Amino acid sequence: MPTQLSRRSLIRGITAATAVATLATGLAACGGDSDAATTTDTAGTVTVGRVSNGAARQTALKVSEVKSISAELPAAVRRSGTLKIVVGALPDGFPPLAYIGGDQKTLTGAEPDFGRLVAAVLGLKPQVSNATWENMFVGIDSGKADVGFANITDTEERKKKYDFASYRKDNVGFEVLKKSTWNFDGRYENLAGRTVAVDNGTNQEKILLEWQAKLKKEGKTLTVKHYASKNATYLALTGGRIDAYFAANPGVAYHVAQTAGSPDPTRSAGTFSGAGASLQGLIAATTKKDSGLAEPIADAVNHLIRSGQYARWLAAYHLSDEAVTTSQVNPPGLPLGNS
Amino acid sequence: MSEPPGAAVSLAEAPLADTPSKPPAAQRVQPLRRPGRWIATAAVLVVVAQILHGLATNPFYQWDRFRYWFLRPAVLDGLLVTLEVAALSAVLGLLGGVLLALARQSGSPVLSAVSWTYTWLFRSVPLIVVLIFLYNFSALYKTLSLGIPFGPAFVTFDESKLATDMTVAVVGLSLNEAAYAAEVVRGGVLSVDQGQHEAAAALGLPRGYQFTRIVLPQALRSITPNYVNQLIGLVKSTSLVFYVSLLDLFGSVQTMGSTYPGDIVPLLLVATVWYLILTSAVSVVQFYVERYFARGATRTLPPTPLQKARAGLAALRARAGREAAV
Amino acid sequence: MTADGTLETTPAALEVHDVHKWYGAHRVLDGIDLTVRPGEVTVVIGPSGSGKSTLLRVINHLEKPEAGHVSVGGELIGVRRGSGGRLRELSERALLAQRSRIGFVFQNFNLFPHLTVLDNVAAAPVATGRLARPEARERARELLTRVGLGDRTDAYPRQLSGGQQQRVAIARALALRPGIILFDEPTSALDPELVGEVLSVIKDLATSGTTLVIVTHEIAFAREVADRIVFIDGGRIVEQGPPREVLDTPRHARTRDFLAKVL
Repeated sequence: MPTQLSRRSLIRGITAATAVATLATGLAACGGDSDAATTTDTAGTVTVGRVSNGAARQTALKVSEVKSISAELPAAVRRSGTLKIVVGALPDGFPPLAYIGGDQKTLTGAEPDFGRLVAAVLGLKPQVSNATWENMFVGIDSGKADVGFANITDTEERKKKYDFASYRKDNVGFEVLKKSTWNFDGRYENLAGRTVAVDNGTNQEKILLEWQAKLKKEGKTLTVKHYASKNATYLALTGGRIDAYFAANPGVAYHVAQTAGSPDPTRSAGTFSGAGASLQGLIAATTKKDSGLAEPIADAVNHLIRSGQYARWLAAYHLSDEAVTTSQVNPPGLPLGNS
Repeated sequence: MSEPPGAAVSLAEAPLADTPSKPPAAQRVQPLRRPGRWIATAAVLVVVAQILHGLATNPFYQWDRFRYWFLRPAVLDGLLVTLEVAALSAVLGLLGGVLLALARQSGSPVLSAVSWTYTWLFRSVPLIVVLIFLYNFSALYKTLSLGIPFGPAFVTFDESKLATDMTVAVVGLSLNEAAYAAEVVRGGVLSVDQGQHEAAAALGLPRGYQFTRIVLPQALRSITPNYVNQLIGLVKSTSLVFYVSLLDLFGSVQTMGSTYPGDIVPLLLVATVWYLILTSAVSVVQFYVERYFARGATRTLPPTPLQKARAGLAALRARAGREAAV
Repeated sequence: MTADGTLETTPAALEVHDVHKWYGAHRVLDGIDLTVRPGEVTVVIGPSGSGKSTLLRVINHLEKPEAGHVSVGGELIGVRRGSGGRLRELSERALLAQRSRIGFVFQNFNLFPHLTVLDNVAAAPVATGRLARPEARERARELLTRVGLGDRTDAYPRQLSGGQQQRVAIARALALRPGIILFDEPTSALDPELVGEVLSVIKDLATSGTTLVIVTHEIAFAREVADRIVFIDGGRIVEQGPPREVLDTPRHARTRDFLAKVL
C-alpha cells in the first residue's frame, strides 16, 4: 500500500550516479519481457476482474472512445495512440487493487482495470507496466509512464510535482487473527493498550497517530508499528507481535478470504471511514504536473460515472462503498506536514 | 577396540591371569576416553532431532503448500531470472574487476585514480540507487551514440530498445560487482610473492604472459574463496532486481505471497531451499576450482569427498578386521 | 686492475660504467665500473648491505640506475642512445627481449609453483617465441638431465628440496641460452648439506666457458671457480683481481677485515 516516497533523497542519489552513467553503454540486449497485462478484448469491450483469484467477478464492460474527450489529450499522447499506465505493485502486490493474478503471471486488479477503462474512453491502447512504488513516481517524472493508477492518495506534498484526477475514496479497517476476541467499536478508546501495525505515509496512519495522541493525553498507550512490506506485516500478525493491522479495507477483505484455509486464519474486526470527520482521503490518477493529462482523464472518469460503467467496475471488485460522485482535477488533498 | 595388555591398561582392569601375554614390541597407544565429548555429542543430537521434528510437524510451515509451490512455473521463472542475472553479472563483474585491478596497479596516475574512484563510488552508492537510476536512465537519455567525443556521432542507438529489464539488471549488478571484484583481484595479485614478478621479468616473459600465465593463476588461489563469497552475496542481491521490474526468485515469492497471503511462510521456505541449493552448488564448484589452483601450492592435493569416503571405508574395514582378529 | 688492460676486438661480455643507485639518501651503488670478458667467471664478495645484489639487479635492469649505464655484449641495457648521444629509456618490450638474453638465478629460486618442473624450464623459450613447444620441452628435458633432475620433470617445485629447486632454476635460466648468467647468492637459502650439489652445477657451467657473475659468501667456492674476485663495500669496488691476490694477499684493510670474519 502507498508508502511515502522520499523523493528528494532519491533524486539526490540519482544525481550522484549520473557520473557513471556512460558505462552502461554497449551491452547487447538480453531476453526478458516486462510483464504488461495482456488483454484479448475485442474493440469496444473492456473486461475487468480477470484472473482475480477470487477477488472479483469477471465482468465485460462496453466502452468506446468519446471524441470530445480524446480531443483534449496532449497532441503527443494522441499521436502515440497508447496510454502508458504504471502500477507500483512490485515486489508485493496489494490485492484486490493491483497484484499478480490467479494464473500467477498476469498483472490484474481494480486499479489497472480502471486504467484500461479510462484508456478506452480516451481512444488509446493501454500499456500497463509494473514497477516498484518508487520507480512508479520516477517513471512518471521521466515520461516513461503517462499515468499511475495504483491507489495513490492525493496529497498536497505530491501536488508539487503531479496533477491528480480523483476517482475513488477509501475505507479502512482492522484485521485481526480469527482467534482474537478484540473488536473495533468505532471509538478510539477501544484501542488503549493495543499494538497496531499501519503502512507508512497512508491516510490510515494519520488517523491512527491522531488516536494515539488522544489516548496519550488520557494517560493510555497505543503502540504503532511499521513494517517494510505487507508480507512482513502479516507474518507479525500471525506471530502475535501485533494485535491488529489497520489497512485499506479492500485489502483486508481479500486477505481474510484468502487465509481462511491457512493455519492462522484472520478476520475483519471492524471498519472506519477513510473519509472520516476531519480527513477527506481521495485516490487519484497521477500524472506529471502540467502534462495536460489530468483534465482529459478526469473527464473520462466522469463519463464512466455517468454511463454507469464506473459503478459496475466497483461492484465487480466489491468496492461500491468507495464510490465518488464526481472526478475532480487536483482536489484538496491531505495537508502538508502530515507524516 | 583391541586392547593390548600392558602399559595402557589401568589398574582397575588388570589383565586376567589367563590372558596370553604378548611381547610389548610396537604397542598401539590406547586413545584417551572423553566422556564429556560423548555427552555433548548426545545433547547436540537431541537438539538437532528436535529441530528437525519441529520443522516436519509444525503446521506453521505448511509443507503441503511448500510442495505445491516448490516447482510452480511462477517460482521457476523467478529462479531462472536469478540464475541468468547472477551468472552474467558474475562473469562481467569479474572481467570488470580484473580490468579495474590492472588499471589500479598501472603506472598511469589517471588510470589508477579512475579505478580507485570507481571502486570508491560503487562501493558507496547503494545497489538499489544504481538500479533505480539505470532503470530510469533510458527515460532521461533517449539515445546513445558512438562517435567522436563531443563531435559527430556515427551510430546512434535507441536506448529504450537496448535497455531491456534484463540488461538493466545485469549492467547494474555488474557495475556494482566489478567494484568489489576489483579489490578481490587486487588482493589476489598482491598475495603473489614479489619474487614471482621478478622471476617473470628477469626471464623476459612478455607482459601479457606474465600476468595471465604466471601471476593470475597464483592469484586465483586466494581470489577464488573471496570471489565465491562475493558470488553467493551476488546470488542473493539479485533479489533487488524487482527495482528494475524484473522478478527473480525472491521477487516472485514475494509477489505470490501478496496474492496468496495464506502461503507466505511456505513461499519463503521455497525461496530458502532454492537459495540453499544454489549456494551448495556454488560451494561444490568452489571446492574443485580451489583444488585445481592448489596444484603446486601444497605438496599433496586435498582429497575429494569421494576419495575421503573411500579412505574412510577402507580404514573402517581394516579396523573391523583387526577387531575380528583379537 | 688486470681486466681492463688489454684491448679487445670483441666487445666485453659485460660492461658496467659509473653506475650510481640510491634509495632516498642512502647510496647503495656509488660509481661502479666493471668489465667482464667473454667466458670469464667473476665472483662478487662483500659484507651484507654492500650493494652486491643491487649491482646484479641493475645489470639486468630489475632496478634502474640513477646514473651510469650497463651494456651486455656491447648492447646497452634498458636504454638507447638517442639523438645527440643522450640516453633514452627503452620500451618495456625491448627491455624484456634484452633480459631474455641475460640469465638470472635468485637466492630464493623463485620457481613458478603452479607449473611443473618441466614447464618452469620450457615456459620462457615458448613465451618469448624462441622455440616451438615440443622443442622447448625436449630442450628442457636435456637441461634437467644435465643438472641431475631428469627423473623429476613432472614434479611441482614445492615437492623438491631446496637444492633441487635451485638446480631447476639454473636449468630455467639456461633454457634461453643466455650470453651471461647472474647468480644472486644461489646457496644462501639452502641447508648446508644441499649447498654442494648446486655449487657443482655452477662449477660445471664455469668450466664450460659460460660467462658468469656470481654473488656469494662461499669463499672456498669462489677461490675454486673464479677468474676474478671483486670485493665491494659501501657501494664501491674496493679491490679486484685473481683469487690468489684478493683472498690471500688483500691490499686493503677493509678486505682483510671482511675475510677475517668469513674465513
